[in-house]
Amino acid sequence: MGVIGKRVAYYPGCSLEGAARSYDVSTRIVARELGLELDYLEDYNCCGAMESKNVTFMGTMLLNARNMSLARKQGHNVIVAPCNGCSFSLQRAEYFLETDRAVFDKVNALLREGGVDSLDQIPQTYHILEWFYHEAGPQKVKEKTKKPLRGLKVANYYGCLYTRPHFYARTYAHAGGQEEGVRPRRRETADDDEHPYYMNALLEAAGATSVEFEPMHTQCCGGPHSLSDEMVSEKFVMMILQTAKRNGADIIATECPLCHASLEMYRHRLMMKGVPDVDVPAAYFTQLLGLAFGYSANDVKLKDNLSDPIPVLKRLGLA
Amino acid sequence: MAIHERSLVEPERILRKERLVVDGVDISGDWNLIILPRVINDYDLDFAQEIINSPDGKTINQCYQCSYCTASCPVHNYWDERYNPRHFIYLARLGMIDELQKRADVMWRCVSCHKCTHRCPKGVLVEEVLKVILRTMAKKGLIDEYPSKKFDRFFTESVIEYGRIEDGELLFGWIEKQGYKVFKDPILKKPIPFIGETPEWLKQLTMKPLKSMNIDFLVLNAKHMLFHPKTKNWSRFKQVLRKVMQEEGALH
Repeated sequence: MGVIGKRVAYYPGCSLEGAARSYDVSTRIVARELGLELDYLEDYNCCGAMESKNVTFMGTMLLNARNMSLARKQGHNVIVAPCNGCSFSLQRAEYFLETDRAVFDKVNALLREGGVDSLDQIPQTYHILEWFYHEAGPQKVKEKTKKPLRGLKVANYYGCLYTRPHFYARTYAHAGGQEEGVRPRRRETADDDEHPYYMNALLEAAGATSVEFEPMHTQCCGGPHSLSDEMVSEKFVMMILQTAKRNGADIIATECPLCHASLEMYRHRLMMKGVPDVDVPAAYFTQLLGLAFGYSANDVKLKDNLSDPIPVLKRLGLA
Repeated sequence: MAIHERSLVEPERILRKERLVVDGVDISGDWNLIILPRVINDYDLDFAQEIINSPDGKTINQCYQCSYCTASCPVHNYWDERYNPRHFIYLARLGMIDELQKRADVMWRCVSCHKCTHRCPKGVLVEEVLKVILRTMAKKGLIDEYPSKKFDRFFTESVIEYGRIEDGELLFGWIEKQGYKVFKDPILKKPIPFIGETPEWLKQLTMKPLKSMNIDFLVLNAKHMLFHPKTKNWSRFKQVLRKVMQEEGALH
């Protein structure tokens, strides 16, 4: 433990400043409790998410390189992002900047042209869950837990891009068919690629019980198509919610604002249509950890969750 | 006798008679099944070359057609079996544009879950390659406007204009593009969520924080909708972004 660093650049992403405010607030609470320090990345820009990369390749490289450059300016080698989409975008840029010299040179020239420092070094991006697990770990969570989440059955939903693809997230030990030695392979802190368990471990340390949730724990929620392709997204979310419910989950723990919003939005629409077994509420894993650390439902902004997990948590005496 | 990947063969090219006796031998049913051959003479080799030349599409030639991507794909497995990443890569490399065009209605449905890229044993960045195929087709005018392209552009415009996105603007802007009449205040021309002809589910969802008296949440989001969050010192960077996109031919 302790390989990433206790003080890192924090790239919250656009969502966490608005609709997913609860994730931001609860993340800061959990980090403070675990003795970790988040250094807010001043004046950051959108990572381009999964949408912009379909329109322009070089544009997304630039958007992410600008954020990397800001992190370097604040003296950081590590960026931590709480959103799957943001950490994916930054890691994707990292991949192309490291493997393609032409892209790297061009991006650096364009950064200077845009009034930003060019990159002397490419900072590494980690998902916040990985950071919590490796810098604090289940043991520390257990020590800090004042109100264990006893009796709470959680379905841990990781979403797509937390461990995938291994080229960007570096979850594989080998090069996966690409040229060996171009890029350092598996990050020692990386989660298991097909069976991630960091969230299970942290929430179990806080007293919760994880239900069986494979393979839906990494099934897509519709992601970038949750607004543009409603039929497919609705079906995917239905599969996720029904699996959670039928495996006995009280609540779904999420770690990405996009997945969270997609689950909540389609949960409501499916319930309006009268589809059975879809009424599992969703909460960010940091909100649940915050509750376990003795914070109130109001402190972790549980009211912001449109799927309303408060009745379930009240029934178990947790909120 | 089953046909491997039957969905790739047009029904009119499959010949099969229920009852057929030839020279006194009964070959009814599957024994007489024939797939009619076809002649293809319009390979467009420049198409594959353009994909290989782009930094995110150059791994396309490492593909050895094992179909692990298709086997992993949730859109193929749970939605439409005509969505077949392996086949799209095959067609793109051969430059069989008309075959790709026949699948235009499903080609855009990739949800970017990256199972294909993750599991590819040959190091093809499958998801990226598929998006490059789509992007190249759109650039050459070989494919009609599709929903995800509209949304991607809408999203990217917002990013380039302000440096950051805002959930409310995205949601209501997209709903408006779908043909709903979103009510806007007369002065700032910003959408007002609770009234107007928005879908019922959206109305109910936006009413939730109001019902639970979650005032600070409402105030924060209303503030963001009225005054779009912006990145500081953005204008110079915006120009560079626009210039780069112009060079790529992405602005049209």
